[in-house]
Amino acid sequence: MIAPPPPPALLMTPEEKRRWILSSWRYAVPALVSVGFLLLMLAPLPLVVPAMPQLGLMAVLAWALIQPGLMPPWLAFLVGALADLLFGQPLGVSAVCFALAAGTLRTAAPLLGKGGLLFDWLLISLLLLAFMMLTGPLMALAGRPGPVVPLLLQWLTSILAWPLVARSCAAIQRRLSATTPRWQFG
Amino acid sequence: MDWTPAPRRPSAMRREQNLAILSAVVSGAVVAGGVILLLLARVYPDTAAGLRRGTADLVAPAWSLLRAPFDGMGRLADGIGDYFGAVSRAERLEAELDIANRRLREARAGMMELRQLKALMRTRSPERTVIATTRIAAATSGSVVRSAMLAVGSDDGIAPDMPVIGGAGLVGRTTEVGRHASRVLLITDPLSRVPVIIERTGQAGLAAGQGQPTLLLIDRVGADVPLLAGDRVVTSGDGGVYPPGVLVAVVVNPRADAPVLRPTASLLGAGYVAVEAAFLPIPKAEPEGPVFDAPVPVEARRRGQPAPRLRSEAAGISQP
Repeated sequence: MIAPPPPPALLMTPEEKRRWILSSWRYAVPALVSVGFLLLMLAPLPLVVPAMPQLGLMAVLAWALIQPGLMPPWLAFLVGALADLLFGQPLGVSAVCFALAAGTLRTAAPLLGKGGLLFDWLLISLLLLAFMMLTGPLMALAGRPGPVVPLLLQWLTSILAWPLVARSCAAIQRRLSATTPRWQFG
Repeated sequence: MDWTPAPRRPSAMRREQNLAILSAVVSGAVVAGGVILLLLARVYPDTAAGLRRGTADLVAPAWSLLRAPFDGMGRLADGIGDYFGAVSRAERLEAELDIANRRLREARAGMMELRQLKALMRTRSPERTVIATTRIAAATSGSVVRSAMLAVGSDDGIAPDMPVIGGAGLVGRTTEVGRHASRVLLITDPLSRVPVIIERTGQAGLAAGQGQPTLLLIDRVGADVPLLAGDRVVTSGDGGVYPPGVLVAVVVNPRADAPVLRPTASLLGAGYVAVEAAFLPIPKAEPEGPVFDAPVPVEARRRGQPAPRLRSEAAGISQP
């Protein structure tokens, strides 16, 4: 837990109230980290092929695995909408994909149980492939159909980059959970 | 994976279930809203253009600041590398200079001839003006849309549909322009069509992006001369955005159904690009409102609509 549920407001001492208000930024950490990864994707690397991994979507998925409560599908939708704005796509393409991916992970995770790291990797790569194949129809729905095959290379680099993204998100989770405020309940 | 402890009390469990149902409903509504947004974007392609401009305004200056130290390091590495192999490079350059001087003499003679011919024909050609020179601040190499951002905007005189030209060739054209940032549609984007001409054969065509590193030459018209690998493809100046004679690509696969081209400029991240004024901006041909043969009575006019114009007035306006 990086952001514990607050104690009942009536039982909070003024000191606890102050700490509760000051610690509320912790709820936004998953979304902010995902946005940071999105901005990282905009790096002006002299890549000839579209090989930049889908860091933003992978960060959303990593947080949906680690902290499902703090990365609900509607928040993934907002992150995806920002991705659309940043990448100059029609508003809604990434938003729908991110929301669907986070929702799928949220429903699938309890059904599949706790798999190992490799199982998570496989699940994420399948989700990324589904995302890639959904992008084409959604772009066509928005009136800008285009080829999706070039995204195949991006899929491969994304699979390779998953451990990096997942580990950095997990490191942030560990760092924050070590400093979680505790409440005394009066 | 979830580290939140599961609730034990029945009321808490019920609350958890209700929350789960609520969140499922909200998620469904959000996805449906996204699809509606997509349909909106289909009908009105300019949906959220203002928002896109705003985010570009925020992000592009930040990235142009961030990349400055890396550019400096690159220049330093270049400076160190320059000291090695300087002699052999000087010899090679001298040989190249001889060839270039010979070509220059030929070109001077040709220029004089051309000037005389132009004076005879009284041709008037528009000037190319550079509006801004900058580096590419941010790029979207992780998306189906192939675009880049520049950290110059309308405050620097940039407007939509201006050609962006790199040192080695054409890069793209500006699409959305904010105050401090503008988005460039690269020539490799699936939406990009550049009117081109093959330098050797004189055939005209369109260089179409396909989201890949290469372009396709489509709609080729002209004399039926087969292309060769290495043929230079330059802009033709048709359409009015790109100035004529700018190198776009070279032919790499002339035998394919649609010949494959490779852009000569490195589209992302490397080198400076110049944003030029649109070569021949197309004037607004469509009249603002409907045109009538007889005066329209005040009762028949609608509020908020442009005033109805007479055909004679409309003709008078469009003449200069």
